[in-house]
Amino acid sequence: MKTAIRDFDSGREAVSHILEAARRAGATSADALYVWTDEENVTVRKGTLEKIQASQSQGLGIRVFVDHAQSSISTRDLSRSHIDELVARAVAMARHTAADPYAGLPDELLAPAADPETLFPPETEIPTREALFERAQLAEEAALRYDPRVTNSEGADSARSQARIVFGNSLGFLEGYRKSSYSLSCSVIATEGDSMERDYWYVVGPLWDVTKNPEAVGTKAALRTVSRLHARRIPTGSFPVLFDPETARSLIGHFAGAISGSSLYRNATYLKDREGTPVMSEKVTLREDPFIPGGLGSRPFDGEGLPTRKKTIVDRGRLTTYLFDTYSARKLGRHSTGNAVRSLSDGPGVGVSNLIVTPGTKSLEDLVAGLSEGLLVTELIGFGVNTVTGDYSRGAFGYWIKNGTITHPVSEVTIAGTLDELYRGIVEVGSDLEIRSSINTPSLLVEGLRIAGE
Amino acid sequence: MTTPPRHDIALFFEHQFGTSPRLLEGVLGSAVLSPAVDDADLYFEYTVREHYSIEDGIVKKAGQDVSQGVGARIVAGERTGFAFTEEFDPKALTRAVESARRIADKSGNSAPVSVSRPGRPASDLYPVTDLTLDRPVPEKIAVLETLDRLARAENSKVVQVMASLASEIKTIQIVRKDGTIVADRIPLTRINISVIVQEGDNRQTGTYGWGGRTDFGGLVTSEKLSHAAREAVRQALVNLSARPCPSGTMNVVLGPGWPGILLHEAIGHGLEGDFNRKGTSAFSGRLGERVASPLCTIIDDGTIPGRRGSLNVDDEGTPTQRTVLIENGILRGYLQDRQNARLMGAKSTGNGRRESYAHPVMPRMTNTVMLAGESDPGEILSSLERGIYAVNFGGGQVDITSGKFVFSMSEAYYVENGRILYPVKGATLIGNGPEVLTKVRMVGNDMALDTGVGTCGKDGQSVPVGVGLPTLRVDGITVGGTH
Repeated sequence: MKTAIRDFDSGREAVSHILEAARRAGATSADALYVWTDEENVTVRKGTLEKIQASQSQGLGIRVFVDHAQSSISTRDLSRSHIDELVARAVAMARHTAADPYAGLPDELLAPAADPETLFPPETEIPTREALFERAQLAEEAALRYDPRVTNSEGADSARSQARIVFGNSLGFLEGYRKSSYSLSCSVIATEGDSMERDYWYVVGPLWDVTKNPEAVGTKAALRTVSRLHARRIPTGSFPVLFDPETARSLIGHFAGAISGSSLYRNATYLKDREGTPVMSEKVTLREDPFIPGGLGSRPFDGEGLPTRKKTIVDRGRLTTYLFDTYSARKLGRHSTGNAVRSLSDGPGVGVSNLIVTPGTKSLEDLVAGLSEGLLVTELIGFGVNTVTGDYSRGAFGYWIKNGTITHPVSEVTIAGTLDELYRGIVEVGSDLEIRSSINTPSLLVEGLRIAGE
Repeated sequence: MTTPPRHDIALFFEHQFGTSPRLLEGVLGSAVLSPAVDDADLYFEYTVREHYSIEDGIVKKAGQDVSQGVGARIVAGERTGFAFTEEFDPKALTRAVESARRIADKSGNSAPVSVSRPGRPASDLYPVTDLTLDRPVPEKIAVLETLDRLARAENSKVVQVMASLASEIKTIQIVRKDGTIVADRIPLTRINISVIVQEGDNRQTGTYGWGGRTDFGGLVTSEKLSHAAREAVRQALVNLSARPCPSGTMNVVLGPGWPGILLHEAIGHGLEGDFNRKGTSAFSGRLGERVASPLCTIIDDGTIPGRRGSLNVDDEGTPTQRTVLIENGILRGYLQDRQNARLMGAKSTGNGRRESYAHPVMPRMTNTVMLAGESDPGEILSSLERGIYAVNFGGGQVDITSGKFVFSMSEAYYVENGRILYPVKGATLIGNGPEVLTKVRMVGNDMALDTGVGTCGKDGQSVPVGVGLPTLRVDGITVGGTH
């Protein structure tokens, strides 16, 4: 398919039209988000093409206010008559909802914090379907030939996505940016005797270049998979737990949820009234940086059109600030921290751009070598995380460490504790930080968690 | 326009978007019928959604969503080409089909297709009148205000009530390779209440949700609202006095209803046709083998009227059915869509499902249920020497290949000598799918379906599902507690 990259005109035009339609329908203020995406996804399995998915899609998310009452709509149909009718319905619906004195657009109209053109690398050439196919095939091939115990495949997947995002509100804000993402992933099955295991590896980033080494992706997927063969349980007990960067990321994600202004005003976080106090071990410093060039969470303005900004969230263990959008800030007598997030069908709510945990000095190998006994965790499953109570209990896969070396893979165990104990029990932060997601952290070594097994 | 007209579901797309049989013949005939093509379909969807939420005592969010599009799929052997468009004109449709077909067919040969008038499914599992979307906005807002008021009146420790009502009407039309067209209109409503109670520094949550493919009058009654508010508050209060959960391998009694997600995670996913065709499931190649205690018979049933997981036809137009997965402990069947069934020499079981026009079809569960056994639930509990009685759960997840699955308790009790001693904090249970049902010791006579809240995620796609379970005793599950 020929890829047409649109300029901002249609998005800006649609947003301007909506804001005008809302005004005409009786809205006292409004905002609108336009998202256009062009995506292609190619799956290769056992060397041959298995699936192609291609799409171009556009959508609108609209919020209207009648004084302090609001309602929202989203649609995929951009025809003017449809939009006019929907906006009129939204205004009618808003009149039924209760007035909320804190609801409304931000107080000010501010310019974006960064030039979108410098924030996102220029797109040179969009890869063809054939190019996507080739990299997926190379990745899977490398995985399948890595080890004879790699006997089956769930396939390799190569994907690209080009997006255009435009946001405007009736204060006069109207800005847009483009965003690209490329990914390559590979998942294989290894068998030996009656043991069968699956694992995967992936890369993702703003440039096609991120997938330039497909063999490395396949090889790592295969290595991770065969390493898991003959995984077994370990005895129940309390041991140090070393989270690798992939699993440590989820811990930082739970934390970001627990410090959001919306959790705070709902009484829905164990971190209430903890600003300025230690919430993690003093080894941990956590920053937010919305301006990493091409970063997966990078953005010049937030979901309400306010400028994003860099901040230190946790400074050597101490919580320096909660995160607010306009609504939660108003409710709590604070100011927005530029952390509103918005999607077509939902929002705004509170979220983050890019988070980075400052790396320490020890490599993952050093950390393993320093343990007389412990569990290295490489995958977590399940939903046993409650940020209201702070209780934490999840299923884990990983490796048992004895006398500084890995002795065998581990599965069918859980790790449990409280989030507060977990974050304050971080005794080491690894040096292995790699920016490959919107949340980025090195390995984290935690003491005081309970492992349930045999 | 937003609420589709009630009559003429079969002609909805033709009336609304001008997609006549002749136009469809042109679109399909231009591309699909080369000999390499095993299957092809166009999936038309027009969905209207509405959602309301309350917090801090006021309904401050109300929203609507209109989602429309056509997914085009061409299947050849193990290969699938998939594309979608959000426009309904012949050019957009032809472009989508062209994009999808290039995977299967390089010859460009095509044969004419004769498209028939749309037909309705033979079964009729859900109403088409008095749907939630038909009711005036203030009635729906009143539901949430009532829930809020009832929950706060229930106990003074309630510090927050969050409730939501979400409803949709999905109208679909599936145009198949043989020219037949099946049209259906599928309603769905879900209501949820979540409360936070506080006592000193101790803050706990409780939730209750219900719903299904039923009319508004059937879902919203004053009894149901009272029950929901009471249950959510009761669960939160129980958790206020919960103690740390023990850890390690122990015997567990699961309560009836929603704990059926055990079946969904431990068994259901592993029996989906795609994983078994590819040999990547822990259950691959095990048909006819014993995988559960003889006390266990498990079915997947998409034909239960009004249930959240039920459908008249699946998203490939195949009528849903009651499929026996495990019969008295023996593995009997897999869940199939058309492609995987064909490749495995089997028949579709009506389990081909997709989240929307923008997502490809996969084999998915509908309502997954263990049939009632013979034990009295009270006797099952009193048989437990030392262990956990798990009454309610949050979500679960499974690793299909190794069979390891987890699910999280949201209300559970520590039991000794058949007596409930105290509630324990939420914890994750972990087990091995092919093993766990061999450890079933007793099956209760109290099978219950869940209240209509399940959503299943697979490969990034979410679809509504149901589960059902009688009280069950399972010996030797790992409990992920903290002491």
